[in-house]
Amino acid sequence: MVGAYLTGAFGQSQDLYKARNEAKRGRGLPEAAVQQAKKDTQRIIQLQRDAGMDFVVDPMFNFFYLFQPFAEQVEGVKAGPQENWFNNNVFYWRPQIHGPLPLQTGFTEKYLHLHELPADGTAMLVLPSPYTMLMLSDSTGYPDRTEAVTNLAEVICTEAQHLASQGIGRIQYDEPAIVVKQSLGSLTEEDLMLLKRGMEVCGHVDGVTTSLHTYFGDAGPIIPYLISLPVDCLGIDGTETSLVDILKHDYAGKEIALGLLDARNTSLEDPQRIVEQIRAVADRTHPAKLWLTTNTGTEYRGFTHGTRKLDLLRRVRSMLHE
Amino acid sequence: MSKLFPTYEVGSLPKLNARVRAVRGQPVTDEDIKEVRSLAKRFSVEESEVVEILERQRQKKGKLTSEEETALADFNALLYLRLQEGMGFDVVYDGEARRAEMYQHVATRVSGFEKSPEMIRSRGPDSWRMAVCVDTPVLQEGSLADLVIREFEFVRKHAVRPIKIPIDDPYMIAVMSDNRYYLESLRPEYGDDPRQLRYEAKRAFTLALARRVIRPQVEAVVERRAAWIQLDIPAATLDIKHIPILVEGVNAVVEGIKDVKLSLHLCYPRRVSLTEEKGYELLFPALLNLNPQVNHLSLELANADQYEDDLAIFAQYRDQRQFELGVGVMDITLEQQQRKRMETPEIVKNRILRAATTLGDDRLVYVAPDCGLRQLQLDRCLKLYETMIEGAELARRG
Repeated sequence: MVGAYLTGAFGQSQDLYKARNEAKRGRGLPEAAVQQAKKDTQRIIQLQRDAGMDFVVDPMFNFFYLFQPFAEQVEGVKAGPQENWFNNNVFYWRPQIHGPLPLQTGFTEKYLHLHELPADGTAMLVLPSPYTMLMLSDSTGYPDRTEAVTNLAEVICTEAQHLASQGIGRIQYDEPAIVVKQSLGSLTEEDLMLLKRGMEVCGHVDGVTTSLHTYFGDAGPIIPYLISLPVDCLGIDGTETSLVDILKHDYAGKEIALGLLDARNTSLEDPQRIVEQIRAVADRTHPAKLWLTTNTGTEYRGFTHGTRKLDLLRRVRSMLHE
Repeated sequence: MSKLFPTYEVGSLPKLNARVRAVRGQPVTDEDIKEVRSLAKRFSVEESEVVEILERQRQKKGKLTSEEETALADFNALLYLRLQEGMGFDVVYDGEARRAEMYQHVATRVSGFEKSPEMIRSRGPDSWRMAVCVDTPVLQEGSLADLVIREFEFVRKHAVRPIKIPIDDPYMIAVMSDNRYYLESLRPEYGDDPRQLRYEAKRAFTLALARRVIRPQVEAVVERRAAWIQLDIPAATLDIKHIPILVEGVNAVVEGIKDVKLSLHLCYPRRVSLTEEKGYELLFPALLNLNPQVNHLSLELANADQYEDDLAIFAQYRDQRQFELGVGVMDITLEQQQRKRMETPEIVKNRILRAATTLGDDRLVYVAPDCGLRQLQLDRCLKLYETMIEGAELARRG
């Protein structure tokens, strides 16, 4: 049976934009934006439930970028210069890490709406993969990059374990950097080693399943390596990786999350074509479990577009179950 | 230009507070009017008509008439022109006083574009209204007057110094828009190769924008004897594999255009590129294929302050292609404003000389802020201009 879920931050509503803008310009209270984010979170969680999503993800309305809780809450990390978030007109602030970082828990909580999420093991939360965080940060205080990625993975794993104890069912580690490097032709053996080292530390979290979700790049040439990593699920961006390459492999024992719906374009995919692609993967590659997902969060195209992609996920899931 | 280290502004200045409030139908404050009077006096611009409008708007709420809006826009444009001339800029424009915002200024005048339902978050809480391309993009009939002609003719009529008009580059519009139309059109052809599909869809989109949206603007101002046109490309290095599309788009805009100086403004080079190259290195060798008439680049450099590293690539390729460079010497980011930090004239002087040394030719170096100043407070912009002009003068003295 094929499942389905959204994979990250959801597009902001116009009401949330207005509340934030008013607060920014001193014409409204920050509390109004906080309340609107909570209201929108409740709405998106309900929409995911209504659409029959197998995991319900926090829409991350309190995040401006993936590393924000680290830069604002973790001792030894500060926000550095702004950078484009890969090839998007969206920015992040490059973490300035002075390690080794101490292990602490609960630092993502103020950014999440944990109490709004289901407590039955179907809630999913997103954390950065240690490798991507290392590659997009400036770090000092470590003897080498292996030590750095190990320490980051320990920090992330400690937080993942804390979230698992709150009733979360799945932790998704966002891993765009490895496939972007692959696509740019700059991937090295060291990169693969660092990715693996990070996953060895945080790939297993008691009480939850984990997913390494790659996006913004072509995973094709490194799929065999990615399959070998110690995580329960591998996410592949189907808007960057060709189906031909995905079908070349056998995923026995590994869950696969296929991002066949392009969250970065308002074009709505043909549901029948998606059904055919999913069936081909299910029939020929033998994954332990197959998930249909968006390739990334829908934050890049806004609330309305996000709901349209969610509805498309619902329709395809339903067609697959007929 | 015969003068050493000529100076210019890259783009925008913040609109006058008084004008913004009046246009929004909000009460204008005494402070706003005082600012208008003070600037008008300092830069010798007649202000009595606009002050009368603003005085009327001081107590009441409500919309201005279109004549009143035009009078305020004309005043704002003339004031910024005189401000740049009065402060000693060698090449001037109007601070984009008539443009709401660079992307929207064009995107709202394109047939084939729809507005996204919501503002899309970009930088922290900052957001922008994305356009969705749903058909072949074409400039709306009759839109050239509001886009470029009126403002250009106004500046040309009033300017004492040489002028440079900024116009959006097609690649920038393509990168910031949702490319639904070309993705769907080309899916049957490239559907099995998603990366090639994205490349070809962006290429087709960029070239359509170049030919049907941007080039008509360029032709309109060239026809009206524009001497220098700057194409703005803030997102040049966003998609490293797509940089050849940027070059092809520029070339499609300028092909066959004669008797005008053409430049590109580039900002935000990728410093975390995940490749061996970073910053402006990422643009090479693609930039070598630019139409030879595009011989000037204005670059954001001050916010990194790595002039030797960032400019080395231009020196490396000098034998193949020699560009004049508008060197960004003033960091215009909001972070600097919040920290109340600004360069000194001495720092500016050193940056100019470092750039000249790295490039190996003083005559290639022009001086500019990193980017437009729209987000900053106006008094900070004035201070920033003073510092830059003084620093350039110090550099000329050596």
